Amino acid sequence: MPKLTIDGKQIEVQAGTTIIQAADKLGINIPRYCYHPALPVAGNCRICMVEVEKQPKLQIACYTPVAEGMVVKTNSPRAIEAHKSVLEFLLVNHPVDCPVCDQAGECKLQDYYMEHGQYNSRLVDVKVKKEKKAFSIGPTVMLDQERCILCTRCVRFADNITKTSEFGVFDRGDHSQLDVYPGRQLDNNYSGNVVDICPVGALTDKDFRFKCRVWYLEPTRSVCPGCSMGCNITVEWDKSRPHQNKKARVMRLKPRLNPDVNNYWMCDVGRYNYPFIDENRVLFPQYKGEPVSWDQAIGTVVQTINAVKKSARLDRIGVLASAQLTNEDLFAVRKFFKDTLKVSQVDFKVSEKPGHNDDFLLKADRNPNTAGAQVILGQGADANEIIQKATQGELDLLYVFGHDLVKLCGKETVEQISQKVKLLVFEGSNVNDTCGFAHVILPGAVYAEKDGTFTNCQQRVQRILPAFPPLGEAKVDWEILSLISEKLGTPIKYKKSQDIFKDIAKTIDAFSEMSYEKIADQGMTAKK
Amino acid sequence: MKELLPQMDKITSQYEQKKAALLPLLHLVQEKEGLISPESEKKIAEYLGIPVVHVHEVISFYHLFRQKPQGKCHFSVCQTTSCALRGGEEIIEHIQKRLGIKPGETTPDGKFSLGVVECLGACEIAPMMQCNKDYVGFLNKKKIDELIDKSAH
Amino acid sequence: MQKILTRHFDQADSHRLATYLKDKGYEGARKALTQMTPVQIIEEIKKSYLRGLGGAGFATGMKWGFIPKDNPKPKYLVVNADEGEPGTFKDKYILEQDPHALLEGIIITCYTIGSHKAYVYIRGEYLRSIQRLQGAIDEAYKQGFLGKGIMGTTFDLDVVIHQGAGAYICGEETALLESLEGKKGFPRLKPPFPAVVGLFGCPTVINNVETLACVAPIILNGSEWFFKLGYGNQGGNRIFCVSGHVNKPGIYELSAGTTLREIIYEHAGGIRDGRKLKAVIPGGISAPILTEKEIDVKMDFDSLKTAGTMAGSGGIIVMDDSTCMVWAAMVAARFFGHESCGQCSPCREGSGWVYRNVHRIYGGHGRPVDLANLPGIIGNIGGNTICAFGDAVTMSVGSYVAKFRSEFEYHVQEKKCNVVLNLQGVAS
Repeated sequence: MPKLTIDGKQIEVQAGTTIIQAADKLGINIPRYCYHPALPVAGNCRICMVEVEKQPKLQIACYTPVAEGMVVKTNSPRAIEAHKSVLEFLLVNHPVDCPVCDQAGECKLQDYYMEHGQYNSRLVDVKVKKEKKAFSIGPTVMLDQERCILCTRCVRFADNITKTSEFGVFDRGDHSQLDVYPGRQLDNNYSGNVVDICPVGALTDKDFRFKCRVWYLEPTRSVCPGCSMGCNITVEWDKSRPHQNKKARVMRLKPRLNPDVNNYWMCDVGRYNYPFIDENRVLFPQYKGEPVSWDQAIGTVVQTINAVKKSARLDRIGVLASAQLTNEDLFAVRKFFKDTLKVSQVDFKVSEKPGHNDDFLLKADRNPNTAGAQVILGQGADANEIIQKATQGELDLLYVFGHDLVKLCGKETVEQISQKVKLLVFEGSNVNDTCGFAHVILPGAVYAEKDGTFTNCQQRVQRILPAFPPLGEAKVDWEILSLISEKLGTPIKYKKSQDIFKDIAKTIDAFSEMSYEKIADQGMTAKK
Repeated sequence: MKELLPQMDKITSQYEQKKAALLPLLHLVQEKEGLISPESEKKIAEYLGIPVVHVHEVISFYHLFRQKPQGKCHFSVCQTTSCALRGGEEIIEHIQKRLGIKPGETTPDGKFSLGVVECLGACEIAPMMQCNKDYVGFLNKKKIDELIDKSAH
Repeated sequence: MQKILTRHFDQADSHRLATYLKDKGYEGARKALTQMTPVQIIEEIKKSYLRGLGGAGFATGMKWGFIPKDNPKPKYLVVNADEGEPGTFKDKYILEQDPHALLEGIIITCYTIGSHKAYVYIRGEYLRSIQRLQGAIDEAYKQGFLGKGIMGTTFDLDVVIHQGAGAYICGEETALLESLEGKKGFPRLKPPFPAVVGLFGCPTVINNVETLACVAPIILNGSEWFFKLGYGNQGGNRIFCVSGHVNKPGIYELSAGTTLREIIYEHAGGIRDGRKLKAVIPGGISAPILTEKEIDVKMDFDSLKTAGTMAGSGGIIVMDDSTCMVWAAMVAARFFGHESCGQCSPCREGSGWVYRNVHRIYGGHGRPVDLANLPGIIGNIGGNTICAFGDAVTMSVGSYVAKFRSEFEYHVQEKKCNVVLNLQGVAS
């Protein structure tokens, strides 16, 4: 394994490693545009030039393999001059769009400009004009050809990752134009990723267009709840400017690197499915259509449960749990309903029609925690049977975690259930048609408001963090169950998510030896 | 393009990798049809098994390929140093005046079109141009006028 | 002086096989294939000091020696007939008037490097060259000089012409390979070099037309004969192309060691219209310009390198005292701006920017700070690019600014041209 020195720091790496990869390992940030770890090397931006001892010319770090004893200087006067000169060339024809460009604040031209400070422009001439400015190239992405620095990351992405080849660079010289094939749209399920990889504001997200300046955004690590893949994401939000964007908190989702799950990517289905975090939320507890306090709502539930306990007919309680819940929520369901109340009719496999899966990240199972639910709740009961019993009046309490039974069974059936069941409880984050029939509505939190874990289809347990507290009067699901259990007199006694997880690790074999520390930000595979 | 298939097959068979035949196939189609239409682009891409966007890239990169029709008589006039030293700029200006078109344009009757190009490798007959397939050199205003008058019929 | 490359040009039907056979045609190939080993041939070429006549001047024998012997992949010979370097037109003559000389050179070269397939990449505008070479190829196949088991040996060889499509950058060897493979002419990152990873990922030799046309004569007459015809470390003659303000523009085959003065005045008839010489480009537009004081230099690769310029493609462009050097710089910069492939940032943005700068100065809109900045901007392109095109922009355009700075200063200060008779060669 060759050993080399970069800026005075030594490192030993595998043969075949390039200088830029070795520098990244050392935390030395060589400027780069065209280089991307997940794409084939292009070597065309030329900004990653470094000084290599004994080589007369500067070498590009993205393409030059390391050698034993190599001595590299990334910030020698020569290297810095080269970086500056490349930056100057790229700015020659680049429009000064910063005031209206969404990329501002996360733009690599701005960033390196601030770092290398060729502050006085030597340009007097007219910039090259290109055909398409603020041009829609598909349902999700806007193109600005003048901002494009022709790094070809998007072309290489479309050729190698999605293999859909929408992009090309046409013409030549400084009239080169990036575009999609005439008449074609960028409409594959991974279109949003080209916005992530574009180092400048040439490809921007329509969904995010003019929405929020990025320096207002706070990032929170999470996992996409869109399907069982569990792509690692960052929820980017802003609470400081509620007068914009109709008080929405989440501005966008971005993929987070996890080489074992989604690498650098996420699909559009997941990426653009965040409005539900702020829109159409269940904001306060309700009883028979009227807003009530938590105490009152919980009181009503407890009343019904006590009645059932008295009759010793625990088969008259049915619970439709959900694979949208975190492991912690699910364990609270298990601890409260199954262990404490001894209710056996608990199932999460409420048969929603599966979506399609593509041959990349998107999975047909559109739940983030089916694997977790399987392990924590087991096979046990059958949701269809529970629903059947409800329609036939054989249940006193039907506890529904967020499902839209109207979509599943039709309005008439749910109407029947609401008439036949003594108490139909809906605990969920977003309003759906079932809410109109529920007797008690308990506002739940969305994933972005939770501290917990999901287990993906690879049996990987991954942590989600709360970006902000639940909206309105909503509470985290396990907290709600905790409050109910307390009122019942048989508290399940959890103060924070970590306590629940510790319990899970103690109780369930698949989770043994796990902890939040070990899961960290890349997750951990559960035992078989 | 179906009639061209035997020729396309013959050309492609000369290359160890099928997609290397792209440039010769584009020449073939352009020779036959006067330009390369979007339909031809797609058919060639299909035939060679390459994404059509990369065929379009190639057509847009190389100046001999065109997607718009040229005039019946197309002048490619050289503007590089050797021709410029011997009056190339005046030739270009004169043609523009005579035909009433700018470089890149075609006369409304479709008879003439003008392109300004870089060195054609005929500096010994400067100032020169390529008129359709032929190199024409030692140009002056009189020769240009004669050529235009002759070709106008 | 013995003519090698142009020896058949005056003959009627010089491009036909029948004519070629009359003058020891294909005997060099026969000798190589039947009496010599590849190792011996490489030795001969090395000792002849044949240098690449496309522009780089790389030692041809050494280049052939880079082909790895143990590599199981097929080998290729690619003939660079893209001839795009402004001022250069010699390969056109060889292709049109002595195509069999090229073919014979191809045969010997392919045999030497173990290649059974040669592609000749001819620039798209050279229609007669393509026609003539194809005719020669057809004749050669008929005669059994190409195809299966050529000349009664077990050596197979196919030659295919590949027509270019109008891009100067395809004269760069790796851009040529990309173009041959059906892509845009984007030069490749190096290493690996074509000798190891070339056409279709296989070991490839790329040689210029003129270089290959020297091969058969060297095999027939010996390396020493060829070496002695030249000068210094460059054997043989080369065809110099003279154009611009001379009385007799055209091709002139002369010893590599001929001086520029001799070429201009003794062969090309001196400066037209009784004018005075002002500047000369010695080796195609990429070569730094020389002033009239610098023309006693010998025209071989090493002498010109020492003189701070290059022999390049042998394209000599002569400028008399009616030429405004700022204008000439602008024309050169415009060429580079148009022909930049656009792949890498410094060249893509820089070539166009340099042209706009010089254009502005020429038009009288330059400020002193523009002239102060110009050398730095020009200098930032070369050395930082994927291929030598960037270096050519820097060296070429930079040389006008360096050697004729007073004219640039005049344009900036006076906002007009100081070349009084700025006739720009009014067409006669």
